[in-house]
Amino acid sequence: MVSLMRGVNYAAMATSSFCPSLPQHFKPTPIINFHQSSFSFKVFSSQSSADEVPTRVGFLGLGIMGSPMAQNLIKAGCDVTVWNRTKSKCDPLIDLGAKYKPSPAEVAASCDVTFAMLADPESAMVVACGEDGAANGMSPGKGYVDVSTVDGPTSKLINGQIKETGALFLEAPVSGSKKPAEDGQLIFLTAGDKALYERVATYLDIMGKSRFYLGDVGNGAAMKLVVNMIMGSMMTSFAEGLLLSEKVGLDPSVVVEVISQGAISAPMFSLKGPAMVQSKYPTAFPLKHQQKDMRLALGLAESVSQSTPIAAAANELYKVAKSHGLSDSDFSAVIEALKVKLKD
Amino acid sequence: MEEIGFLGMGIMGKAMAMNLLRHGFKVSVWNRTLSKCDELKEHGASVGESPAAVIKKCKYTIGMLSDPPAALSVVFDKGGILEEICSGKGYIDMSTVDAETSAKISEAVQKKGGSFLEAPVSGSKKPAEDGQLVILAAGEKGLYDAILPAFDVLGKKSFFLGEVGNGAKMKLVVNMIMGSMMNAFSEGLVLADKSGLSPKTLLDVLDLAAIANPMFKMKGPSMIENSYSPAFPLKHQQKDMRLALALGDENAVSMPVAAAANEAFKKARSTGLGDLDFSAVYEIFKVTEPSA
Repeated sequence: MVSLMRGVNYAAMATSSFCPSLPQHFKPTPIINFHQSSFSFKVFSSQSSADEVPTRVGFLGLGIMGSPMAQNLIKAGCDVTVWNRTKSKCDPLIDLGAKYKPSPAEVAASCDVTFAMLADPESAMVVACGEDGAANGMSPGKGYVDVSTVDGPTSKLINGQIKETGALFLEAPVSGSKKPAEDGQLIFLTAGDKALYERVATYLDIMGKSRFYLGDVGNGAAMKLVVNMIMGSMMTSFAEGLLLSEKVGLDPSVVVEVISQGAISAPMFSLKGPAMVQSKYPTAFPLKHQQKDMRLALGLAESVSQSTPIAAAANELYKVAKSHGLSDSDFSAVIEALKVKLKD
Repeated sequence: MEEIGFLGMGIMGKAMAMNLLRHGFKVSVWNRTLSKCDELKEHGASVGESPAAVIKKCKYTIGMLSDPPAALSVVFDKGGILEEICSGKGYIDMSTVDAETSAKISEAVQKKGGSFLEAPVSGSKKPAEDGQLVILAAGEKGLYDAILPAFDVLGKKSFFLGEVGNGAKMKLVVNMIMGSMMNAFSEGLVLADKSGLSPKTLLDVLDLAAIANPMFKMKGPSMIENSYSPAFPLKHQQKDMRLALALGDENAVSMPVAAAANEAFKKARSTGLGDLDFSAVYEIFKVTEPSA
């Protein structure tokens, strides 16, 4: 049984289907590839309804993001098999009904579609292509969906290894952190095999509020890096403003309120501002990952010969924050990098 | 409410004065270039021949000038407000200036017995037309309370921030963040384009994300069309960045991102983009030709 999805207008569903309907607000998105543009229509996929047997879904990586994402799949009635480097992280999922396999390769072999949510390019590579990696369990008819945020070259490497087995590949990094993951409100920025995209749309819709298909492998990774580059710069600008306001005798809480009323009002500011004013940084998105994304975005900019002075300045602040031991705090802790203290 | 004076019929002043007229206020206007008052006159405003003349006529007068020099000029120059300001009258300066300029004006007005309120706004042309400004007032609370009926028409929310200087500082902090954000946005749009992505798709993604905001939504589409009709002239944004950096300087506050953003605005001004909307800074991030 597939449980009802949030935000879906069931009254508009013309036919009953094994597969949940796609959210009404999702708009058709152009597929951009080098030679032509065409429209990718939101397909009311009836593929799954033709399946007699439910798709077996694998999930590799149960960190801040992977755990709630896998939980949402299980709660929606999907057949899920999990793996995590530290096995104990699998226990809550197993308690909810997930199966367990002791290696990415075995998960992939026992599943039809395997998702992976790792922290960085290195772990994504190891899990996909390393010894006992997912590629060793892939074969024609299967699919690998890498939801990690990595650079284009890493994604293309993984794509190559997966495709060699005859399986399909989709890169699908997400925009959204812990709470959106828990609430099934992620934004998927996918690229790669279109057929796999259509096949897993159901699962993306369980875990997310919208999805984009962006064409060739590399495009999803690039889009994610661009978004996070803007986000990283915005957070440092916000931090500079809060700190300046405090130093000149204003109440930073009022600054947060003023911003929320105007043209630059953003959910991120309203959500994180109050805690930042209290010098608290509960981790929704670890600073070390934001800095990794800035670094990868700067690499992308370099590869296309683009100057990005704002992002470069912002990246320096994240590096300083890391050197102060704030890697595992929320990325909003970057404000601490602006507060210069002499070493005792 | 009694007749309100309004000095400065630029992008903002004109829209704000029109708004007051539309809501039934009696308004007396002045502008350095008198012809800019014509449309207001057609809608029922009376026209003063100098700032002093307007002050003489009105209990409360609002000033909306483009920068510190202009704001000082309507106060201190011949025919300026000091010639007529006195006890029982109030001057509300809604220009965006630095705290020192505001303090200077406040002191001079109060010396003549008048009341003073600084009240810079957050919001540009459209919010001014729609009465959706955010007003950041500081100074004499009594004057704030008295002018609130006008503020309620001009804006969607007013803040009283305490002593003179606090409104000016708040405005500079907000515009500093805004200027940096516009730069970050421009960098992202160009990177998307150069990486083979659709800038339009980036706008769609941003609109759904935690960093979605009205500025990106409003300006993004026209930016990718290379259209920069001025709602907020780039030269004024750069002025605000400069004033914010000076504020940071005075207080030894580290602001590397704002400093980088200011550089981009300076570059934009030097290539003649000063009178376009501040979103025209986007042009600076595209591939530029090396000078011959």
